Amino acid sequence: MISIDTELNKFIEKSEAVQTKCTVLKKDDLKTILKDGNFDYIKLNTPFKTYSKDCEFTESGVSKSIVNADFAIAETGTLVINSENEQLRLATMVSESLSVVVYKSNIVSKLENIISFMNESTSRENAYIAFITGPSRTADIERVLTIGVHGPVELICYIIEDL
Amino acid sequence: MSIKTKVKEKLNDKILYSNLKTFAENYKVSRANALSGLDFFKLRHDIYKSKDFTKDEILSLFEEFKSNVEKSGCTVLHAEDAASANKLIADICKKHSAEYIVKSKSMTSEEIKLNDYLEKQGLKPVETDLGEWILQIAGEHPSHMVMPAIHKTRQQVAKVFEKHTGEKIDPDDINKMVKIARKYLREFYFKAKVGITGANIAISSSGTIGIVTNEGNARLSSTVPPVHIVLVGYEKLVKNFSDAMKIIRLLPKSATGQNISTYVTWIKGSNPSFKSETGKKHTYYIFLDNGRLSFLDHPFLKDALKCIRCGSCANVCPAYEMVGGHVFGDIYIGAIGLILTSMLHDEKKAKEILSLCIGCKACSYNCPAGIDLQSIISDLNVYMGQKYSINPAKKFVYSAVLKNPSVFKSAMKVASIIQKPLLDETKENIGKLPILSDEHNFRKLPSVKEKTFSQMFKQNNFDKFNSSKKVFFYPGCAVEYFFPEMGTKMVQLLQKAGFQVDIPDTQVCCGLPAIHSGDGKSGKKTILKNLKYMGNPEEYEAFLVLCPSCGMAIKEDFKKYTLEYISEFKKSEKIANKVTSLADFLNKNNIRLKYDDNKKITYHTPCHQGRGLGFVPEDFLKETFGENFIPLKDSNVCCGFGGSFSVEYPGISSGILNKKIENIKDTKADILLTDCPGCVMQIDGGLKKQNINVKVAHLSEIFNELDIEKN
Repeated sequence: MISIDTELNKFIEKSEAVQTKCTVLKKDDLKTILKDGNFDYIKLNTPFKTYSKDCEFTESGVSKSIVNADFAIAETGTLVINSENEQLRLATMVSESLSVVVYKSNIVSKLENIISFMNESTSRENAYIAFITGPSRTADIERVLTIGVHGPVELICYIIEDL
Repeated sequence: MSIKTKVKEKLNDKILYSNLKTFAENYKVSRANALSGLDFFKLRHDIYKSKDFTKDEILSLFEEFKSNVEKSGCTVLHAEDAASANKLIADICKKHSAEYIVKSKSMTSEEIKLNDYLEKQGLKPVETDLGEWILQIAGEHPSHMVMPAIHKTRQQVAKVFEKHTGEKIDPDDINKMVKIARKYLREFYFKAKVGITGANIAISSSGTIGIVTNEGNARLSSTVPPVHIVLVGYEKLVKNFSDAMKIIRLLPKSATGQNISTYVTWIKGSNPSFKSETGKKHTYYIFLDNGRLSFLDHPFLKDALKCIRCGSCANVCPAYEMVGGHVFGDIYIGAIGLILTSMLHDEKKAKEILSLCIGCKACSYNCPAGIDLQSIISDLNVYMGQKYSINPAKKFVYSAVLKNPSVFKSAMKVASIIQKPLLDETKENIGKLPILSDEHNFRKLPSVKEKTFSQMFKQNNFDKFNSSKKVFFYPGCAVEYFFPEMGTKMVQLLQKAGFQVDIPDTQVCCGLPAIHSGDGKSGKKTILKNLKYMGNPEEYEAFLVLCPSCGMAIKEDFKKYTLEYISEFKKSEKIANKVTSLADFLNKNNIRLKYDDNKKITYHTPCHQGRGLGFVPEDFLKETFGENFIPLKDSNVCCGFGGSFSVEYPGISSGILNKKIENIKDTKADILLTDCPGCVMQIDGGLKKQNINVKVAHLSEIFNELDIEKN
């Protein structure tokens, strides 16, 4: 248990360093958020599947989406999201605010720990996997860090602590 | 425009100066933070090994990649050169009736000048990376591989945006400008029929590409349009995810000092696409050769193909920091730019820009792929020197003077006499050389001393001191002619510690100046002559140098240039293992010095000290001087000397020196110590010129004044 918490703390530290907002919570708390959150798009696994919600993605984008991450990497504060589903992929790109749900037990220590997942996911004919670490950013004008250039302006990470 | 004119123009660009200076300062801090706790040299060695392929090996990785993605209906094409790559891409765009094409940042597309070609074909490519887009609408080219618009200010960007969008823009509001780009570019992702991206990595075992971005534009470009074209150089192929992750770990840390970039996108094959009539993405991969494949079998250029395009060789280059990427490079920028221009682009252009390397090795030291960039540049200089001949005046110096000890000695003797009317009141320095222009007059030059080090060695009977503990000292030209006292003081110190010091019968240049200027032939002859006069390595505990550049030449170039001479090579190898600098020698032999004064001391690390001889004496100095030792900011950044570089590019040299002087002033130290006569010449000359009262000395000069502590 100690080791999981070490990874959790490291993940939160690295995530917050790149402006990801992390919240550790229980499943029931997340259900409340899903009910009251006014999401445009919800694509989550069981036990949140019943909250699913679709929408159309155009160039005007949407306000809020929430999706699952398969894993999180503590070393870098990275969320690993299988994005083969095109709707989900678009949601992670054109939402102003993107929320990502990850189980605490799926936080791994290092980039290397994700290799078997990558091998498995890319053993199929096609795959699209995203590593997302913080909201979209640029420093192309005078090296000034500016958030939200092409992707989400806000990235929220919900870490579920109960199994 | 000649390169010297271009350099002058950039040196006068105050915006460029401050943008690059600020970035270089911040970069070093972020990079160090991102790498803390990691074994950088081990990690980069792993990357080097994982990218070490022959042409045949790369081609078999390519076949594996190809068969993996063809299974899902993708098309994989080989492009022999830029023209065929451009045509393939334009044909695909036309086949899918594209008008607009969204592009995410790709240096490979810059290499083949893709946008120009597509526009000529009536197509409309739109760059979506913010920096690239700014340059596209401004009609300019990138000046950095990762931060293409680093040369522009917010005010300049605001003007470019106003002109392009017609909107009024607050020239100080960067946030607003980013929002405008977001809004403006978003619609193009949805309008475009084709998205073009590069790839940072192509994994053969699964047929997956990896794309690293911060903005998210590569994700949109590879998702929204129904067609995706991936333009990728063959050298981006790696075997598996394990090797790919090694690159992902170091690339962002080296590029921008980020722990990881915001988005790392992994794509395999043809994914679902709602805009495609088949419901599946039309995916094409163009693998670009353009000369790469043959270089994979080249003895010294193949390493350049291990580059992961992070741009760190520009980020840490003191000369780049003065002139920027529009001069320091061509399409590819920084040290790797000098090299790739030679390999992939115009050789004559390459020859010109290769001269901008000051030889400080910061690029080699920081490269996350473990490429010894500076050594490749040095080899290219030799190649260019052979092919296009080098400056005749230099050639004369290297082949007729430096190589021949007696001629060199006579020339220096003559110089010591004719300089007399030019000396200043101290006799240590020349007031001003009338043949040099004002531009060169940024430092006081040292005088040629009447007696050489070798003469003083005999005169002081240093050769009469015998001991069973023996070391060999190679003085090098600077100590021999300009700073003999650095040598005599070291000999005195070592004799006090009980060591017999022997020196070469005849003093010959180490060969480095000739090699760095491209005269490999003279360099080789000089080295062979030198080896004759060097003592038998079996007899000595160490081969000491007071000039780390000579030390590095002995350590690296002696072996490299004696490959065809077996006994000389063997001798070089043995000497190389024993070459060391004074502080390293004292430290290893447990000789400690006592400092009783309260003068504040700081230390400048010569380029070839840390990055050539591999020993930085800071800990030794802290131990010796205690609280009186004040660390110097950017101590290991070049002082701007670079031998003949400072004569060829005085503006760059003095610009680099001024940054060094600012840092020295900030320490408020009384004495600046360093390990290299060249650095002493440059820094002391600059401080004296600006009337700044800091004494500059070689370690040997101060160490000899201290008492040796009894163990």
